[in-house]
Amino acid sequence: MSIYLDYQSAKSVDPRVIQAMQPYFCKRFGNPSSLHTTGDDATEALENARVVIADFIGAQAKEIIFTSGATEANNLAIIGYAMRNRRKGNHIVISEIEHISIHNISKFLEKNGFVVSKVPVNQYGEVDVQKINDRITKDTILVSVGWANNEIGTIQQMTDIATLCREKGIVLHSDAVAAEGLLQLDVGKNLVDMLTLSSNDIYGPSGVGILYLRKGTRVNPIIIGGGQEYGLRSGTENVPGIMGMAKAAEIMKIEMTAEAKRLLNYRDRLIKEILTNIPKSYLNGHPSRRLPNNAHFRFSGIEGESLLLSLKDEGIDVSTGSACSSKTLEPSHTLIATGLLHEEAHGSLQITCGRFTTEKDLDTFLNVIAGAVNKLRKLSPLYKEE
Amino acid sequence: MKSTQYSEKVLDHFRKPRNVGTLEGEDVAVGRVGNPVCGDLMEIYIRVKDDKIIDMKFKTFGCGSAIATASMITELAMGKTLEQALSITRNDVASELNGLPPVKMHCSNLAADALKDAIKNYRSRGKSETGVTQKIEQGIKRLTGEDDFLDKGVYYKIDEFSSFKDKRTIIIDNGDKTAEAAIEISKYTPRVVLVTQLKDLPVKSALKIKLNKTDVKVLYESKIIEIKGVKTVEKVLIHDLNEDEKYELFVDTVLIL
Repeated sequence: MSIYLDYQSAKSVDPRVIQAMQPYFCKRFGNPSSLHTTGDDATEALENARVVIADFIGAQAKEIIFTSGATEANNLAIIGYAMRNRRKGNHIVISEIEHISIHNISKFLEKNGFVVSKVPVNQYGEVDVQKINDRITKDTILVSVGWANNEIGTIQQMTDIATLCREKGIVLHSDAVAAEGLLQLDVGKNLVDMLTLSSNDIYGPSGVGILYLRKGTRVNPIIIGGGQEYGLRSGTENVPGIMGMAKAAEIMKIEMTAEAKRLLNYRDRLIKEILTNIPKSYLNGHPSRRLPNNAHFRFSGIEGESLLLSLKDEGIDVSTGSACSSKTLEPSHTLIATGLLHEEAHGSLQITCGRFTTEKDLDTFLNVIAGAVNKLRKLSPLYKEE
Repeated sequence: MKSTQYSEKVLDHFRKPRNVGTLEGEDVAVGRVGNPVCGDLMEIYIRVKDDKIIDMKFKTFGCGSAIATASMITELAMGKTLEQALSITRNDVASELNGLPPVKMHCSNLAADALKDAIKNYRSRGKSETGVTQKIEQGIKRLTGEDDFLDKGVYYKIDEFSSFKDKRTIIIDNGDKTAEAAIEISKYTPRVVLVTQLKDLPVKSALKIKLNKTDVKVLYESKIIEIKGVKTVEKVLIHDLNEDEKYELFVDTVLIL
């Protein structure tokens, strides 16, 4: 088994979640749309899950729409809202560092008559509220800013952004996948109108997510069929998956504070030791306003994919923002948006810890990272020893 | 198999790269190729005797396949005549490595090009640089956007160095004074970029040494062609003159002294 330090990419499902899902495969397998007893049983389970998940983010049960995951929830929020409200305007504002799904949804909307403005971030990855304001026009109907960044872990000033959108009468969507399970997400306190969550990011099964839709926020469905989920997301509900997400949310609600505190200690240890022990190493993202599980570095003179391969040989799983590890061969748009040059973005390494990370995992990683960096720097024409 | 999966042979060359290093001497030439978009840069050194490659070394910044292809070509070309070495193709390198992932065939398969460049340089060594004199376009000509953002991110003078605190600052090279400004500003912000159209900074060597000790990034053979933003400066469009490529760089401040 490898040492897994890439919780941002995927998380293992908590065994307690699997246990909670178990009955819904064979015993309580009903279709919530059926009117018989087995169907009623499934409906009851589904509605209970909706209450638990709503409670997790301070919402009403009716404001929760189950989807197949965060990408679908982002599609429903942005395409659904844009299509429903295009009479009001055709302008949408997103940040430069949104998840790739938001960027590609925006491209789709641009092909369909919408105009999308992107708000830049500062060198730490923070969206400047003033810069959002500078882009708002009379045609702006929607702003979408991720609660925290999925790569560099920077946390946004969501309350300020929400206040601005409220003042302007513009709906605010936030993809909170990177932040969930690490930060308190209270839609009662933070006046976000639409919120995307995924199940796997709180140690539930993949293939489930939700869109929180504040009462009164109208969207068109993007999946048409039998009219499930108030007609906003057709298709028979994935009851076992939804029960898993609900259990994951229930556990997270209880354990988050302690878990985040433990992860924060790991994060700070990683940052301190790497910056101290490896010359010409830098932290990407904000020094303090960052997710408690996220440490993101760059090492001058080396390329991220080769570093990832070297660590893989040592039995350690990490991530990189290097183009050479991506399908498009483009470096991470997030790192570029913080002002890094291509060669710097290529040399990045993302470490994300999680529920099952141990102090020993960090020991192992910290024991090999300096050596791996050194070995690659010896090969590099870009790195000159001082 | 995943489309990004490497063959065992690629991994072997990645783990134990052959002939890493540099060479020096009259009988040595170096070939350099790179693709900044993909982020690979390769240097191949050859030592030639009686028209044969008698030694080879390489250095590579890049992904696993960039390292493996450079390592492989040193094995393939060692001992070959220059003509034989010139006939080694990208495909030869890839097939000797039992294939490369499709996505890597283009951008990380630069070793054959670097070797050809080295041979070309060997053959033309001693001859003067092909008469290209470096010229800076001096500027009465304003940059696109320069006037729009004057005092909104574009500055012609420095009042207080502390006003650059946490600002991503790009400075257009204008000799010693801009290098000195870059060093000073780098005390206030982690991001200072000095952009010059030349291959080397036209500054005193003591200043260069000082500059190297800071985190100031120098962009050689590059120039800003446009300043962009909404109300204030948000990014610049940079032309890499050497690669003839244009790219955007996010900045907060452009300093023209």
